[in-house]
Amino acid sequence: MRNRRAKTSRRLNDMVLATLFQQVPYNVAVIDRDYNVVEANDNFAEYFGDWHGKKCYAVYKKLNRPCDDCVSGKVFEDGKPRVADAVGIDQYGRQAHYVGHSVALRKSEGGPIEYVLEMTRAVTETDRWQQQIQVLFDRVPCFITVIDRDYRIVRANESFRDSFGDVRGHYCYEVYKRRTSRCRNCPAAKTFHDAKPHRSSKVGVGKRGQEIHYVVSTSPLTRGRGPVEHVIEISTDVTAVKRLEHDVIEAERLGAVGQTVAGLAHSIKNILMGLEGGKYIVSLGLKKDDKKMIGEGWEMLERNFEKTTSLVKDFLSFSKGRLPELKLINPRGLVTEIIDLYKNIAAQSGIELKADLPPRLRRAPLDPDGIHTCLTNLVSNAIDACLMGKQKGTEVVLRIRDTRDKLVFDVADNGSGIEYEIKKKIFTTFFTTKGGEGTGLGLLTTRKIVQEHGGKIIVDSTPGRGARFRMEFPRKRLMALFKHEV
Amino acid sequence: MSRNILLVDDEPDITTYLSAVLEANGYTPTVALDAETGLAAAADVHPDVICLDIMMPRESGISMYKRLKQDPALRHIPVIIISGVGQGGTFDFRSYVSDASVPAPERFMEKPIDVAEYIQTIEELVS
Repeated sequence: MRNRRAKTSRRLNDMVLATLFQQVPYNVAVIDRDYNVVEANDNFAEYFGDWHGKKCYAVYKKLNRPCDDCVSGKVFEDGKPRVADAVGIDQYGRQAHYVGHSVALRKSEGGPIEYVLEMTRAVTETDRWQQQIQVLFDRVPCFITVIDRDYRIVRANESFRDSFGDVRGHYCYEVYKRRTSRCRNCPAAKTFHDAKPHRSSKVGVGKRGQEIHYVVSTSPLTRGRGPVEHVIEISTDVTAVKRLEHDVIEAERLGAVGQTVAGLAHSIKNILMGLEGGKYIVSLGLKKDDKKMIGEGWEMLERNFEKTTSLVKDFLSFSKGRLPELKLINPRGLVTEIIDLYKNIAAQSGIELKADLPPRLRRAPLDPDGIHTCLTNLVSNAIDACLMGKQKGTEVVLRIRDTRDKLVFDVADNGSGIEYEIKKKIFTTFFTTKGGEGTGLGLLTTRKIVQEHGGKIIVDSTPGRGARFRMEFPRKRLMALFKHEV
Repeated sequence: MSRNILLVDDEPDITTYLSAVLEANGYTPTVALDAETGLAAAADVHPDVICLDIMMPRESGISMYKRLKQDPALRHIPVIIISGVGQGGTFDFRSYVSDASVPAPERFMEKPIDVAEYIQTIEELVS
């Protein structure tokens, strides 16, 4: 009875072992002391190919001699189990990465080691993925860092290390910005707090002390629903774009200089003609002995010399090349100032001066004196245009629009308007609506100030129905100039 | 009979100067300080030549020129554009008027003018 039970138990054990041997998700092989593969499961055969009558090194690595660092040999020597990484060749000749577990097999406890059981598991796919991810991580044209809750960098990709140096273990703010404490408005802090992605534009300092402009996006690295343990920061280097943006603004400024020179030439030609005229009339008067004519010619000379003086003065002030001194201000105050300044003057001529402002206006980096000059020029021109027009009930409206991207100032009137042909030339010549009195520098100065703010000025007009001068300031450009200045 | 020349320029010193030059050379000048008065004077005196500035307040010389050329009674009058907008004595009329049906002006003179050249141009146009 006992024998029968023992027999049944042995049979069961054999069945379990046989099943386990075949079904275990490993490539299992049994090796003898002469490196012969004496048994192997189907997984093994499927992975490494036919093993019958072959040496283990021939099956695993397609070699014709034992491996230099034979793990099974060591197990045969000391009987200790071992785990090792190895690279072999699969049955199709492809490189195969696997982890091998080698265990001694004895017929009885304490007896000699008869065989070594080798269980290997392929890690080729995982490795390949890991390699690809690593290449992507390192070579992607972005700075990538992983930071922990203390804001220490635990991983950084190659692009990051190239620009900022090898900085593992350092604080991110120390590396990015050479700061001793966390940055204000830190997107990583927000991600740690709410586990959501955040984005921000920053200026950092590279390993050679160079300024680096970057846009950083942060995302949580978390397992399950637990707290955010790490944050991944992906930053795009936009230094070249910023440089280009700056160059474009510079080019516009230089373009304006060329146009200004052409405009200056036009004005000087008119004055020269006046001077020539004065000289001509004085000599004609002298020839005819006509004192009245001499006096008239002399007055012409005086007037045009005076014009030369005021042109030179205006031009010097126009061209002194002062950069805008940007301050974060509310544009509402500027408009109110201009309205207060011109309301009475306009009213005396029967013109209504009005402001049309949105209930809420965001602050913007502007040069208050510069914008004041622009609005003064435009409002004074608009009042003149109303005086020249023949309409009744004329008005000048000063309007501000604050969109997401732009801050827009409009000065609109329903006065005489400007013809298309002149409109095309209005900013390239010293155009004046004030006859011999004006130097025509007002609009040029206005355009110059607007361009120095990275903005543009647009005129829209219908002759006889009025004109609208629009100053448009893209907020991005204003901020770029402001940051550059700061 | 003295030939009549219409001067249209918003700058009085320039009209005074050109009037003196014309009178000294036997012409009769008529002066207008803006385009509207200029058109009225052209219709009134039917001058032999019109000397026209471009940059004028209210209505430009270009607009007045187009209106002159649209008027059958006035379109034959030769026009000299006298302006400071040209460069090196050249004037790109088509950058102001792209409409090809409007003919280019007979002459262009850059400010400040050369008196002898001015008189010679007037003589050519009236003969």
